[in-house]
Amino acid sequence: MTTLALIYKFLIQILPAIQITLIISVASIILGGLLGAALTRAKLSSHWWWRAIANVYISVIRATPAIIMIFVVYYGLPFLIKGWFHVSIEGWNRMYFVVIALTLLFSAPVAEIFRSAYLAVPAGQKEAALMVGMSPWQAFIRITLPQTFVIALPNLANAIINLLKEGALTFTIGVVDMVAKAQMIVANNSGGFAFETYGALALIYWVISLAIDKLVSLVESSFQKKRQAIQP
Amino acid sequence: MLTIKNLTKSYGPQQILKGIDFQVNQGDVITLIGPSGSGKTTLLRTITTLEKGDGGTIDFAGVQGELAHLSKNDIRTIRQNVGFVFQNYNLFNNKTTLQNVTEGLVVAHKIPKAQAKTIALAALKKVGMADYVAHYPSQLSGGQAQRVGIARAIALKPQVIFFDEPTSALDPELVGEVLKVMRQLAEEGATMVVITHQMNFARNVANKVVFMADGQVVEAGSPADIFDHPQVPRTQQFLAEILSNV
Ligand SMILES: Nc1ncnc2c1ncn2[C@@H]1O[C@H](COP(=O)(O)OP(=O)(O)O)[C@@H](O)[C@H]1O
Ligand SMILES: [Mg+2]
Repeated sequence: MTTLALIYKFLIQILPAIQITLIISVASIILGGLLGAALTRAKLSSHWWWRAIANVYISVIRATPAIIMIFVVYYGLPFLIKGWFHVSIEGWNRMYFVVIALTLLFSAPVAEIFRSAYLAVPAGQKEAALMVGMSPWQAFIRITLPQTFVIALPNLANAIINLLKEGALTFTIGVVDMVAKAQMIVANNSGGFAFETYGALALIYWVISLAIDKLVSLVESSFQKKRQAIQP
Repeated sequence: MLTIKNLTKSYGPQQILKGIDFQVNQGDVITLIGPSGSGKTTLLRTITTLEKGDGGTIDFAGVQGELAHLSKNDIRTIRQNVGFVFQNYNLFNNKTTLQNVTEGLVVAHKIPKAQAKTIALAALKKVGMADYVAHYPSQLSGGQAQRVGIARAIALKPQVIFFDEPTSALDPELVGEVLKVMRQLAEEGATMVVITHQMNFARNVANKVVFMADGQVVEAGSPADIFDHPQVPRTQQFLAEILSNV
């Protein structure tokens, strides 16, 4: 078989495991996004201890390599939970541990992205909303948040692609994701065709990240289109 | 209708407002003039609760209290009864012209959408912007944006509308269209407080002129009093400077 044909063959074999990767990624993006938003709130708090907690948390998380985070959560969390709550979580689906680790990892960059995007929205936007009688919460939801989101979008896409790549370490605690699948294929071929197998895997990651970029630029341009000059 | 007594306000160690008394009656068109940095913007922002006063009282829209200790409800009441037109418009960037006007009506004042739209269209028509309902702020000229800003304020039927230098961010050729709208509002009996360097507006449209310098009201009176017979040397000096610049 030619190299291309082999890559295609392995691609087909690996692809079913993509749902593991997608489930883990989507769950981590949602949970990490929420945690990141909470951290942003803490970072913008007028109380110094909230800011301090958020800053320490973020600096620790950012310094932790993904593989260490996954191991710490996988081996450490059951131990802690047992100690604190006397509940055993060792039998949990291992995907949960990956999701927790990636959520923690994702929350730190997201907090920074949200914070700088929020600060980039002019203060006058909120003030104008208050002056038409909105409550601070209404002003945030209706006016400031949507603008924050648009500003955050490009950096958010980068963070998501990063998360996706960190997620490739999922196999290290025995979840059968695409990477694990590829390893099995190589093992079954007694170590042969490693280039074609991992090449197929890289191709899949490339396509996913292209898709994320495409999606983000679609969302962005839909915002932009609304603002193109309309001839009066 | 609106009474402010002995308002003080500092930023850090610097006292910006040094005991201001300020009174607005129904139908007043008051222009607030004075050198840059004298505290005019801060005064408007403190009255409208965008800034918190350090001392002084307010009596407005059923709220009577100290500016430093207003409850959340008091603040909301004050905000729902004033309009504010900003120097740089501050139109909601994520909303169309029409939505800029309906947003406050629907979200803050709980007016049904269809009714809000009718009110908004009438307000936009009044400022000559009814043909631009679907435009976003980035698609408007400064003069158009400011007229939408005015429509947004008047649609809420506030008791008083505050204008903070509404024309000073505009290219000179666009100033006229905004002043025209403001003049029309004044003629219809709207109660307005306007910070401006447009001395023609101050002289011809206002019924009262307040001259501020260095955090204090130096002199107040009818346009004729202030422009033709200023009593205080500081006022005379300011008017001489600003009128010679024209
Ligand atoms: N947010 C702020 N923080 C610190 N100082 C301020 C702030 N806003 C205004 N000031 C100061 O208060 C003074 C009065 O400003 P302002 O009310 O804007 O004057 P005006 O509108 O008459 O030009 C100025 O010296 C200005 O530097
Ligand atoms: Mg000012």
